[in-house]
Amino acid sequence: MMGLRMKAVVVTFAVLSLFAAGCSGKKKPGPGDAGSDLSDQKLPEGSSLDAYQKGLRPPGDSGPLKDIHFAFDSYELDESARQTLRDSADWLKDNGSVRIEIEGHCDERGTVEYNLALGAKRAKAAKDYLVSLGIPSDRMSTISYGEELPLCSEHTESCWAENRRCHFVQLN
Amino acid sequence: MSVKRSLAGWWVVASAALTLCAPPGADAQVRGTIKGAGRTYAVALSPLKNLGGGASSPIATEFVDIIARDLELTGLFRMIPRDTFIEQPQASGVTAEDINFENWSVLGALALVKGGYTIQGEKVTIEARLFDVYQRRQMAGRRYHGTAQDVRRMANKFADEMMREFTGERGPFDSRIAFVSNRGGRFKDIYVTSPDAGDILQVTRTKSLNLAPSWSPDVRQLVYTSYKRGNPDFYLLDFVSGRETKITSGRELHVGARFSPDGRTLAAAIEQQGNVDIFLLDLSGKILRRLTNDPGIDVSPSWSPDGRQIAFTSARGGQPQIYVMNADGAGQRRITYEGRYNTSPAWSPKGDKIAYTSRADGGFNIFTVHPDGTEVHQLTASTGNNEDPSWAPDGRYLVFTSTRRGAPGLYVSDATGASQVALTDRPGGDTSPAWSNWLE
Repeated sequence: MMGLRMKAVVVTFAVLSLFAAGCSGKKKPGPGDAGSDLSDQKLPEGSSLDAYQKGLRPPGDSGPLKDIHFAFDSYELDESARQTLRDSADWLKDNGSVRIEIEGHCDERGTVEYNLALGAKRAKAAKDYLVSLGIPSDRMSTISYGEELPLCSEHTESCWAENRRCHFVQLN
Repeated sequence: MSVKRSLAGWWVVASAALTLCAPPGADAQVRGTIKGAGRTYAVALSPLKNLGGGASSPIATEFVDIIARDLELTGLFRMIPRDTFIEQPQASGVTAEDINFENWSVLGALALVKGGYTIQGEKVTIEARLFDVYQRRQMAGRRYHGTAQDVRRMANKFADEMMREFTGERGPFDSRIAFVSNRGGRFKDIYVTSPDAGDILQVTRTKSLNLAPSWSPDVRQLVYTSYKRGNPDFYLLDFVSGRETKITSGRELHVGARFSPDGRTLAAAIEQQGNVDIFLLDLSGKILRRLTNDPGIDVSPSWSPDGRQIAFTSARGGQPQIYVMNADGAGQRRITYEGRYNTSPAWSPKGDKIAYTSRADGGFNIFTVHPDGTEVHQLTASTGNNEDPSWAPDGRYLVFTSTRRGAPGLYVSDATGASQVALTDRPGGDTSPAWSNWLE
């Protein structure tokens, strides 16, 4: 009766691959969700998700717009974060055509959904402060990656501190 | 379309269960006597007898192996090692009249599962019987019809019946667990498995992040957040049609959607103007109602089984705590006061408890609390970080994520925390489990 079992395995695999094709829409666009993964939104070059898709580490702190950091479970901007944002605002004023995406990130501690919300609040806090410094709101978008795209993967306070950040991506 | 039917196969599975003989009355010695973890109950699971002649099939042992795995997760049973069995399945009977019960009592077995199978072409029939070894009588018997693909489901159903006989309540194993894993590579995708974790199926395949899955009450659909098109949006996957539909759009965060018990609406956290609140949506993603409106984070809704209330996480007081509100958003009240970080509430299908994650003892642990805020109980301690509890459909077991052995894996606990068993355990990580309702 080995034949029957083998058949079951084959069927299971057929199901699995059909499923996978239907879900990703890559090889066989499904009826409801046709098209490639990024059909309606282009991922900004240099964003943390873009790096993740390319198999790279999330981009660290480089370029004129520096990362800012937060305390655990907080989206409050401390004086150091404010100073960094003031420098970024000056640069954005000098480079008036640049639009940015502000990414909110968290450390691994705590639950996935709460951290996604916390990342959104961090990005919003940074954006609000930049607006208060005179940067037009429509030059900035925000996105939260919660605890999903850490810079550093050790389970230590220094690593967590590095991961609790807003990262700034130039969109053009 | 036979392919389409196969796709839906695990969801529907035709295996009709017929009762073999009426179960005995309450006079059976062991019936309904197991109340909680502590002492384990010795069970012998004999491989099935080939009743149809012809070559033997691996389903003879597969069936009982799956039952053994299920029973192991309950913390209530101890399986008698198969290599000590005296009776050979093929040379012995499967009914109370034909079984030599001394061959089992001498091994210390209090209960015995025996049965047989027949295979005719594609069709597989399994009959399984549960015996009380000391009373020398049958406690339950079932006959299942299906194909070789359905054997796992048949075993899970029989495990559920065994739980009913021993505890007075049906077991939780004829169900599914969805979870997030990067086991397919480095990307976080959604996977689905039976509670015995023997048939893990990858259901999203994106080079992206797919998070926080949740089941429809009929176990036909999953809703989750995916970044596959850049923005974190809700997607609805229908297992019968195989169709995945993106139901939200925009540039905001969408996370933690949960079907209402009637299956018609979703409660979900959505970002609006940089604030994250809980909304009621229809299944096409349209917002029907705003349920919370305050400047702090509101996230992770969980419906009461009667659909009248929703538990959620709110940081309106500074730190995240568990709150409860009426399903229309009225009557919002805080129910957790111990600890400064309480998140991810999961309302028990029995209605009596809300499980949640709390930052305590230097890590994160699973607690339960009554919906009125009384009787806080800690389930996990000193075992890495334990997060994201989800209740089994019987309300007696929970699945959650734990880092107790390093990388996050899924663990099953009873509602007291007395029994905790690894469900999945491999490098990489399995997180955000969601235990479905019963398949039927």
